[in-house]
Amino acid sequence: MGGSLAINQNLNRSMIRLAFIQFIRSGRYAGAGIRIGLFFLLAIGVISLFVGKQFAQQQQQGITDVVQFQQTDFPRQAALHHDDMGLLLYYLKFSVINQTRPLTALAIGQRDVNPSVQSVTIRGLEGQKYDADLTNPANLLLGNVDFSFVLVYLFPLLIIAFTYSIISDEKENGTWSIVAVQSRHLLGFIGQLFLLRLAVVMAVMLLIVALAIPVLGIPLDGVLGLFLGTSVGYILFWFSVCFWVASLQRASSTNAILLLGIWLVLLIVLPAGVNNYITARYPVPEAQATTLAQRKGYHEKWDTDKTATLEKFYAHYPQFRQVPVVDMPTDWRWYYAMQQLGDDESAGQAGELRQKLEQRERASRSIAQFMPTLHTQLQLGELARSGLGNQLRFMDYTSQFHEKMRLYSYPKIFTNAPVLAEKWTDFKVDTFTDEAPIHPLSVLGTFVLFIALFAGLGWFRFRQTIYHL
Amino acid sequence: MLQAIELTKQYVPGQPPSLDALNLTVQPGEIYCLLGQNGAGKTTTINLFLGFLPPTSGQALINGLNVAEYPQETKKFLAYLPETVMLYPNLTGLENLDFFAQLAGFRHTPDELHSLLSRAGLQTEAHGKRVGTYSKGMRQKVGIAIALAKQAKALLLDEPTSGLDPKASNEFSEILTGLAQSGTAILMATHDIFRAREVGTRIGIMRAGHLVESLSASDLTANELEAIYLQTV
Amino acid sequence: MALRIERLIARQVWATAFKNRAFFGVLMGIGFLLVYAAVTGWVSFRQQNAMGRQYQQQARQEWLNNPDKHPHRMAHYGHFAFRPKAPLSVFDFGMESFLGNTVFLEAHKQNSVNFSEAGFSTGLLRFGEISLSMVLQLLLPLLLFFVGFGTVASDRETGTLKLLLSQGVSWQQLLVGKSLGLIAVMLILYGPVMLATGLLWFGLLWFGLQGGAVNADQTLRLLLLLGSYFLYLSLFCVIAVLVSARCRTAKTALVSLIGLWLMLTLVLPRASQALGSYLYPAPSKAKFLADIQADVLKEGDSHNPNDPHYKELKDSLLTAYGVDSVQKLPFNYSGFVMAEGEKISAQLYNDHFQRLLAIYDQQNRFSKTLAFVNPYLAIRNLSMALSGTDFASYVDFQQQAEQYRYDMAQKLNELQIELISNQKPGPTDKPHQIGKNHWQEIPDFTYQSPGVASVFRHETISLLAFIFWSGLLWVVAWRLTKTLTAL
Repeated sequence: MGGSLAINQNLNRSMIRLAFIQFIRSGRYAGAGIRIGLFFLLAIGVISLFVGKQFAQQQQQGITDVVQFQQTDFPRQAALHHDDMGLLLYYLKFSVINQTRPLTALAIGQRDVNPSVQSVTIRGLEGQKYDADLTNPANLLLGNVDFSFVLVYLFPLLIIAFTYSIISDEKENGTWSIVAVQSRHLLGFIGQLFLLRLAVVMAVMLLIVALAIPVLGIPLDGVLGLFLGTSVGYILFWFSVCFWVASLQRASSTNAILLLGIWLVLLIVLPAGVNNYITARYPVPEAQATTLAQRKGYHEKWDTDKTATLEKFYAHYPQFRQVPVVDMPTDWRWYYAMQQLGDDESAGQAGELRQKLEQRERASRSIAQFMPTLHTQLQLGELARSGLGNQLRFMDYTSQFHEKMRLYSYPKIFTNAPVLAEKWTDFKVDTFTDEAPIHPLSVLGTFVLFIALFAGLGWFRFRQTIYHL
Repeated sequence: MLQAIELTKQYVPGQPPSLDALNLTVQPGEIYCLLGQNGAGKTTTINLFLGFLPPTSGQALINGLNVAEYPQETKKFLAYLPETVMLYPNLTGLENLDFFAQLAGFRHTPDELHSLLSRAGLQTEAHGKRVGTYSKGMRQKVGIAIALAKQAKALLLDEPTSGLDPKASNEFSEILTGLAQSGTAILMATHDIFRAREVGTRIGIMRAGHLVESLSASDLTANELEAIYLQTV
Repeated sequence: MALRIERLIARQVWATAFKNRAFFGVLMGIGFLLVYAAVTGWVSFRQQNAMGRQYQQQARQEWLNNPDKHPHRMAHYGHFAFRPKAPLSVFDFGMESFLGNTVFLEAHKQNSVNFSEAGFSTGLLRFGEISLSMVLQLLLPLLLFFVGFGTVASDRETGTLKLLLSQGVSWQQLLVGKSLGLIAVMLILYGPVMLATGLLWFGLLWFGLQGGAVNADQTLRLLLLLGSYFLYLSLFCVIAVLVSARCRTAKTALVSLIGLWLMLTLVLPRASQALGSYLYPAPSKAKFLADIQADVLKEGDSHNPNDPHYKELKDSLLTAYGVDSVQKLPFNYSGFVMAEGEKISAQLYNDHFQRLLAIYDQQNRFSKTLAFVNPYLAIRNLSMALSGTDFASYVDFQQQAEQYRYDMAQKLNELQIELISNQKPGPTDKPHQIGKNHWQEIPDFTYQSPGVASVFRHETISLLAFIFWSGLLWVVAWRLTKTLTAL
């Protein structure tokens, strides 16, 4: 009994070895061989790490630049406007940084579009909050070659290349009938063929991530675990799709066209279609409306009753009513009240804009539940803190930061506090750390569902047709 | 009509040639059958006559023209029937015939096309059906009709009867004999010793690129031929 | 008749394609996508341009409604420039979604062009957008490969090729015939797309939705698009046939063509752009602005009363007018200083901006030059340029907006110099101001789209690439006719 088990295991092991040799050599006749494909993917995977590293360095450089600017500009401005606190704070730009994690370099997401640094004066926020970053739109249009691109777009192609003719090739060469007769457990044999390829693909993915950990300095934490879980889930999803297509028992060319068609629909046609839909369904004219309202809200106060403006300001900030009015070169209290009212009067439009963006985020998330490709891209972005969710939370934080700076500055301005009494180099650049919780179930649930669906369909179909030629 | 002069084909330099200095002539009205094992050089000979391969040395002549020099002109005198005629599966037999005849520069009326198919032995009901539904024998008959439509002076056949049932094979022989009588020169590579003895005027036996025997079919019985064949190869 | 054999072969390719039921399914799918693309293109064009026009009018109205004011208040009140979509953007969205469309124009300050669609996107945008041009550039070549992979290879695999050639067909006739057949199949989709584009474009212009009219420039753009896409798609037909002719089996041909397609449309464009931005890093926004500020401070800081440049300016003015204080000058001195400051800072900003553009240009050079290796990049760049949705058109908008901003600021400075008293008003005096009738002296911002000639200037490489590709394929095909075999 024990002996026969050992023989079986030995047999199994040498079978797997032969199957592996057959798989690795099989590319010899096709134009692009298995080995070329593997090498290519590994190479582009490594390149993606360098792209990520460069991105991280640029982010770091951006932070260094802004820290340095603040360090030199604040004392210079303070010296220049040493007798006018209101004028100084008119000019000073306080910066806040959206923290870039090492993991962000693996899934750059929207971080190349949206600025990771916001610099705001204490004047009207709505006129500054949406300031665009300096970007080369050609880079944005063509997209990054980051790890998420390699995983989401290229890994499925390798999986398809590995498996599209897994059975049909043997049929076309005439070896399948022999295999079918010789094998004791044919479905198990097919399963082994798939597992073998799965192991190779997983090894490539894990190797790339393993390289990324030291190269990018990624901490080994739960977030990385979920990131890996998403990647594994995505790869399993594509294997289950290929398994199902193989079970349809079509010719190699038909399989290739079918699988590439699925790839095309899941990665190009449907996501683009959903994007067109969301853009048209939730247009954001509120953005322009907000800026126009902010300009009007502020500027028209120059020509309206001063006391009315101040009353409105006190209604917002009753604590400043008590601050006694002091003589100063410019009536800064009135000036900043006007600025404040620009924000207050455009708050409605700004709120609507915020809501629209949240609707967009929610809509794409719910649609993504039914499209593993979208789901993967959005989840990787969420885990790497590079999606719209992160951007919205960063904007919220910027608003809080702006409010904090206002509340700090207003009393000093209204009393025309001596500028040089303040230590301006103590104003550090603030950093936003995104700590929004992520639920593992919402990350991995979609994969479990789709893998079960396709693997189940494939298994069911194979049971019916496995011996058909 | 068909003539090979010291015709040699060497695929890989340094290796023994696949066809070594073949000399062969097929006159109008003659049916020359090439026998030999797989890899003896039969198909290479036919491909050289078709101009699908450049010869290493020597010449393949059709109607006195060197095939290598005049690949286009020599095709005019030539019809060819491969081992398996695949044709276009989504066209009917009639459409396929029309297509290939037009390629050769012949326009036929539907009646003429039907009569060509019938002459080739394809039953009338099948003319309008898609070739995808045909058996091998039926496709082979469309192939013959294509050759007939071209009224070629020379016909090259590469194992045309392999896989055909005896009746179809017999009908095929009759058509070949008929063509030869009307003056066509026919070169046929085959494994079928019995059929070769039946239709052939002359029989060549090849081995490893050499034509080792060239016999007159009328001098032999099938059994004698088989004995010679087995001794030779 | 001419090309008799070729047309015969072409008809056979056509018939084979249309006897495949799956092909009809794909045709329907692509047809649906095209309708979807046309509708969303039309809708977003109308939405954005209507919105832009509405806000542009509103902004202008609010500007004109200002009461009597100090001109410098107006310089800070400022104006907006909303970027209108080009009529042909219904066909090719190009970079539209990654470009901002609203810029606030005020004195002293070059604001960023904000509110790009990408900034409001959930990240889905990075998967691409469905436009008519995307279907033509990306999906149609793949469809042509699917239809064309077997054109020669299947015939070879089945042995039909030998039969074809033994009938006296030459390789040249065969390749030309097969290509023509595939081109005919291509026209089935290309024709309606271009017709739809033409109609959309005509409709948009005719009904005055763009505020423009059907003119020679726009017509030339449309015709060039028509021509270049026809050439592009024909190239892919010929490529499919040539690869099919080179491959032993249909499966190999299919796998090679799919690999080629992925290389051309997915890997090469991204990789070349990534390489470009890797080799030529652009400065961060903080650095860009800090550098400009540093230069401005070096040149002369109008806000610093002790700045040497302005001190010198003041002294020379005082000497020229023979007075001892700026209050005695016959014009408004602070207006004069601001005009000088605006001149300096605008000049420096433009210098830095040009340098930034030069870096971007270097970054893009790889993917632009790669048009000689990759016809997809050639058509992509050319199509964007012709549709007015490329970076050059955007830069043109930015520059027109900046010019407007500069002119507006200087006009207001001029009004201040001429009309505002040089004496500071006392605490009880009415503040200095000028009549509101002056506000309309500054015209509204209207964007003038550049002529088609600018496309030739910016996309010379793409155009040359097309010529190169046509020539190359001709040479390759001609050489192949000599070397191909039936076996």
